[in-house]
Amino acid sequence: MKLLIKNATLVNADEISKTNLLIENGKIAEIGKDIQGADKEIDAKGKYVFPGFIDLHTHLRTPGREGDEDILSGSTAAAKGGFTTILCMPNTDPAIDNEGLAKWIRGESQSVGLIDIYPIGAITVGRAGKDLTEFGALKKAGCLALSDDGFTVDNTLVLRRAYEYAKMFDLLVISHCEDSQLSCGGNMRESFVSSKYGIAGIPDIAESLIVSRDIELAKYLDARIHLAHISSAKSLEIIRRAKKEGVRVTAETCPHYFTLTIEDIEREGFPGNFKVNPPLGDKKDIVAIKKALVDGTIDCIATDHAPHSLAEKELPFELAPFGFIGLELAFSLTNNYLVKDKTFSLKDLVNKLSTQPAAIAGLEKCGKIAEGYIADLVIADLEGKWKVEEENLASKSKNTPFLGKELEGVIEHTIKKGKIIYSRLKD
Amino acid sequence: MTNMEEWQKKHILGIKDFNRQEIETVLSLADSFKEVSEREVKKVPALRGKTIVNLFFEHSTRTRTSFELAAKRLSADVVNFSFSTSSLTKGETIIDTIKNLESYHPDIMIMRIGVGVCLNSFAKHTQASIINAGDGRNEHPTQALLDMFTVKESKGSLENLNVLIVGDIAHSRVARSNIFGFQKFSSKVTVCGPTSLIPYEFEKMGVKVSNDLDKEIPSADIIMMLRIQKERQGAAFFPSLREYINKFGLTPQRLKKAKKDCLVMHPGPVNWDVEISSSLKEEVHPLILKQAENGLAVRMATLYLVGTQKREI
Amino acid sequence: MSNKKEIKKILSKDDIKRTLYRLSHQILEKASSFEEIALVGIQTRGVHLARRIQSIIKEIEGKEVPLGVLDITLYRDDLTVIGPTPIVKETNLAFDLSDKVVILVDDVLYTGRTVRAALNEIMDFGRPKRVEFLVLVDRGFREVPIRADYVGKNIPTSRQEVVEVQLEEKDGKDEVVVTKGND
Repeated sequence: MKLLIKNATLVNADEISKTNLLIENGKIAEIGKDIQGADKEIDAKGKYVFPGFIDLHTHLRTPGREGDEDILSGSTAAAKGGFTTILCMPNTDPAIDNEGLAKWIRGESQSVGLIDIYPIGAITVGRAGKDLTEFGALKKAGCLALSDDGFTVDNTLVLRRAYEYAKMFDLLVISHCEDSQLSCGGNMRESFVSSKYGIAGIPDIAESLIVSRDIELAKYLDARIHLAHISSAKSLEIIRRAKKEGVRVTAETCPHYFTLTIEDIEREGFPGNFKVNPPLGDKKDIVAIKKALVDGTIDCIATDHAPHSLAEKELPFELAPFGFIGLELAFSLTNNYLVKDKTFSLKDLVNKLSTQPAAIAGLEKCGKIAEGYIADLVIADLEGKWKVEEENLASKSKNTPFLGKELEGVIEHTIKKGKIIYSRLKD
Repeated sequence: MTNMEEWQKKHILGIKDFNRQEIETVLSLADSFKEVSEREVKKVPALRGKTIVNLFFEHSTRTRTSFELAAKRLSADVVNFSFSTSSLTKGETIIDTIKNLESYHPDIMIMRIGVGVCLNSFAKHTQASIINAGDGRNEHPTQALLDMFTVKESKGSLENLNVLIVGDIAHSRVARSNIFGFQKFSSKVTVCGPTSLIPYEFEKMGVKVSNDLDKEIPSADIIMMLRIQKERQGAAFFPSLREYINKFGLTPQRLKKAKKDCLVMHPGPVNWDVEISSSLKEEVHPLILKQAENGLAVRMATLYLVGTQKREI
Repeated sequence: MSNKKEIKKILSKDDIKRTLYRLSHQILEKASSFEEIALVGIQTRGVHLARRIQSIIKEIEGKEVPLGVLDITLYRDDLTVIGPTPIVKETNLAFDLSDKVVILVDDVLYTGRTVRAALNEIMDFGRPKRVEFLVLVDRGFREVPIRADYVGKNIPTSRQEVVEVQLEEKDGKDEVVVTKGND
């Protein structure tokens, strides 16, 4: 079947063009003004077409907590948010620390048949930080990266071994940077607000100390590493310096770190829906993160989609679990808070949500709209508005601080390998 | 026309939400309620037939008893519910418990809980007024009110005093509530304790931060000693009780350097020979006991104020 | 439309003085013994009137009767119905009520609910031999079965009227007026 998308504004990381494109056999067959022979047409007049977004950091809660999210609901939420490929973290129950479970995730993703889900294998068995998992087997089973996310590998020697061993398989090691002794018991960023209300705080150096450690190790071993959910100005200074020196480090941030602050938590009265780890910072951090996104210190935007049930998030702030859902919001938030205020251009948006993640994850023929590339696409209406409400979120969990907010940037269609997997009108 | 005060607050969650006039209203009412406790029949019908629930998720006999007696002396009906701290995350949630209690149509819920900043969200699930009997390390409003009442009783006014709060400031809701309270009367507050127990950027509260008790004592009008919990010793906040007492214990030698009319206060219970030397017991205990007595009157005042509010139907 | 207040003067300063003297004599006449008399003024103006009566009695007999003050706020039957929360003033009954004829003193008797509350409160302090009630002005419209034993002046009023008793100790002058119309 030949699918034609016409009158589109195609946005790539390096150029924008007004043209048409033809999809055939799951690939982008032709891009041009005059295309004939289509079986089906989508008129994208006034709309923008992006390469499908790729999330390097999602929590699908499967296996173990399918009540909060499962492969189907997670895939549906991803599709709704314009994500055609996601990498899911292994902090499940049991952890994805063996090839059997990794293969199962790949299989489930294919049988649901919406988006591509690649597992991220655990670095250590049970994420206990002691024994390495079978990196080779995990890669063969479909893992594109390794991480103990949720935890930092506390033992520096174990991390060193992990970096060395991963090099052999050219597997990316993703670090969750948190000095757990410093952060222990903390519920929000250590700040005047946390002091005023007597809430145990997590100092920003809990992140930057481990960022520093991991970068030093990577430099020493010439390893390729990726730093997850960077949230503070201090970490960014270290990453910027490291990149200048040629260290092979990439970094991601999440939309909440360039939109929300400690003051928002206080103003809203400390609801569980504003609790996340790493914790929200202050205005200085937002400024630093925006700057780092623009100058490339931060390579990509990830969601850190972390579903939690209502009962859990309704717990008092100090007891509620950390995390926000994000698959359905990342695009709109990036559009609202970075593109609208001209921090970003649309090309930058594509770069951070699609092109760079594809490169970091080693996905070929992905992250770009070009002839011969996989037809993973998003068609969006940038003027359209939508209100974030529980009823219109596809994820099983609704824990987001943006509930009730109206956002600009609506996804009309999401196309995976040439097949339409989400259409707004059908919703 | 009689002098009427417009009491607007449905809940009493923290002193940070009080204005000066509201504090003065509570204190002047507390005076009248003190008199009630001196009568033969220690009961007035002001809250007759009201249902007051003590909902404690953190163990406390003294505060609970104080509130219970305060409610009973106002002729209200009191029900006590105690839950262990561990039940907070297991099984029936706090919100479920509150919703279940709604079947008793409580007028006032007095809540004590080991975690802070959550009472405002619980208020959404009940018609009752909520009085905070201590939430995490956030606030303990009735304690601060009784402390201010005690000071006003002794000194005649709360204006322009030097208040010195000593001890584990970081974990103290009593310290926080008192800081908010005294500052509304242009009094200056100094907090003094080990650096490891003074919260991050605490000067932004408008207080002076110090580690030198000997330096601060001579200028203090009020010395408020806070309880030190032995568990803090284990968590590397300070190496030993001995060293803590050396630097921050109120000893006779230190008290000698204080102003003659300086008040020594303590929220209780006192760890004698830790926070305060037991040889000072005869001198300082009377006022500390008076704090507890005043607590009853102050709590009657707070119950009366929220309990007599017009109910919205 | 007239917004003017209609003010009718009922008792002047001299009238009030004469009335209080007459009431004091009435008290002394009725009592079986001087020792059994006790005055309790109801906050606020009742307290000032009770004090005046106490000093008039002292003038006449050369001795003082015990005086107490009573704030009835906590015994009111309308605490959750009235708007702002009223402030509670001093209550002080420093003497033993057991053998006393307690004479409650107030400025205006209207619905009678204040006296009802005062009676309940007095009973919580002890068991007096007898409780009587003295009022400067009785304006009618009782809502409970209460009557005064000593009345300064009976003033028939309509419900739209307001009886204002002003006393020097509190209001700067002695006067009783009846007002009608918008304030």
